[in-house]
Amino acid sequence: MDDKRGRFEAEVLPHLNAAYRFARWLSHSPGDVDDVVQEALLRAFRGFDALRGSDVKAWLLAIVRNCHATALKQQQRRAFVPLPEEHDPRDGYAMIAATTDPESASIRRDDARSLERLLSALPEEHREVLVLREIEDLDYRAIATITNVPIGTVMSRLARARAGLKARWLTEVEGERRGVR
Amino acid sequence: MECAESLRVQAYFDGEVDALSAADIERHVEHCAECRALLQDLEQTRTAIRRDLTPGRAPPELHARIRQALDQETAVNTPRPNRWGRTTWRTQPFWVGALGGIGSAAVAATLAFLVLSPSITNPLLDDLVAAHVRSLMPSHLTDVVSTDRHTVKPWFAGHTDVSPVVADFAQQGYRLIGGRADYLDHQRSAVVVYQHGAHVINVFSWSASRGALPGNTTRGGYHLAFWKAGDLEYCAVSDTGWDELLGLARLLRDLSSRDDRE
Repeated sequence: MDDKRGRFEAEVLPHLNAAYRFARWLSHSPGDVDDVVQEALLRAFRGFDALRGSDVKAWLLAIVRNCHATALKQQQRRAFVPLPEEHDPRDGYAMIAATTDPESASIRRDDARSLERLLSALPEEHREVLVLREIEDLDYRAIATITNVPIGTVMSRLARARAGLKARWLTEVEGERRGVR
Repeated sequence: MECAESLRVQAYFDGEVDALSAADIERHVEHCAECRALLQDLEQTRTAIRRDLTPGRAPPELHARIRQALDQETAVNTPRPNRWGRTTWRTQPFWVGALGGIGSAAVAATLAFLVLSPSITNPLLDDLVAAHVRSLMPSHLTDVVSTDRHTVKPWFAGHTDVSPVVADFAQQGYRLIGGRADYLDHQRSAVVVYQHGAHVINVFSWSASRGALPGNTTRGGYHLAFWKAGDLEYCAVSDTGWDELLGLARLLRDLSSRDDRE
């Protein structure tokens, strides 16, 4: 047992920061991130024996993604049960607006924050491939494993994510500075 | 309309094509203005993301939570009778299983007793772990930040009741990063803070009391190594492996005994 724990700490825990970052990008509510990551690490520990020589980081991030999906489903179920009649498609937008940083208005000119916000505003399936590629520096094969889609799909989503981010970025910069960057 | 080669250009940018295709794509880009612009966009986006977005790190509280969860997970699994493999298990007569069950219950009880009893008799262990975890929270780690022992050691004189050995063991992998005063066991103890790889090691020290020093132990995923040198008692706390923690303890003990001889 100790041996398993030791190997787990040596091989998997070094990717904890990556797991945390990825969970943060997946989730719109920061409060859930810790729970998702903890659950993912526990599941990873339980399934660690079955892992044989594959990419540990990709394996862990795939688990994080599953845990995030599970948590999201539970959340939606909880959220929808009490108020089934009053669900309005516009609520979604209201929620996203409410969960973005309330200070954002005062620091809109801060490039980093804008970029972070723009990236968060991308559709999830675009955002995740872009984050995995640019922030976690993973190759197409690993991204395909994590997101559970063929490599071709990774490529097209990545292209759309990059084009989307670029377009939003330009609109933002033009809108604020009246100039093209 | 988008150039038909754009996905290949992207793959080239991401380093996903072999040398032959790369040469091919470079030739294409030379006379395709659209793909040249695309390459530029890709580069800009990457630069912006990698420059502006600070890489997030899991907070220390989460580290602690996960180690605790793993401890629980390991504790649940340890007492299981695994002397017989899963396949032979079913062929054992009932009473062997029953005895195994009783045996494992006894093991679990003993383990529980061994694990729980120090906390009943010694709140010091809890205090040490709590102080260590608290120190990992933002801006709680050090009161005096210095890699120079001639800065850290005199600082203790004015701020704590004890004057522990302080040294930088950067060459052995233990970087001195500072010192702190913590209230522990009814006195102001001195804490010397070291960094080993990504791990923080807190070395607590206080005046030796009459009670026996606890043995080395693990609590909540943190290892605690105790030793006595001169009229001071020391405890090193960290989530590093035992070897790393005892390595630092050994260096500090050697240093104390050298100081005594001088």
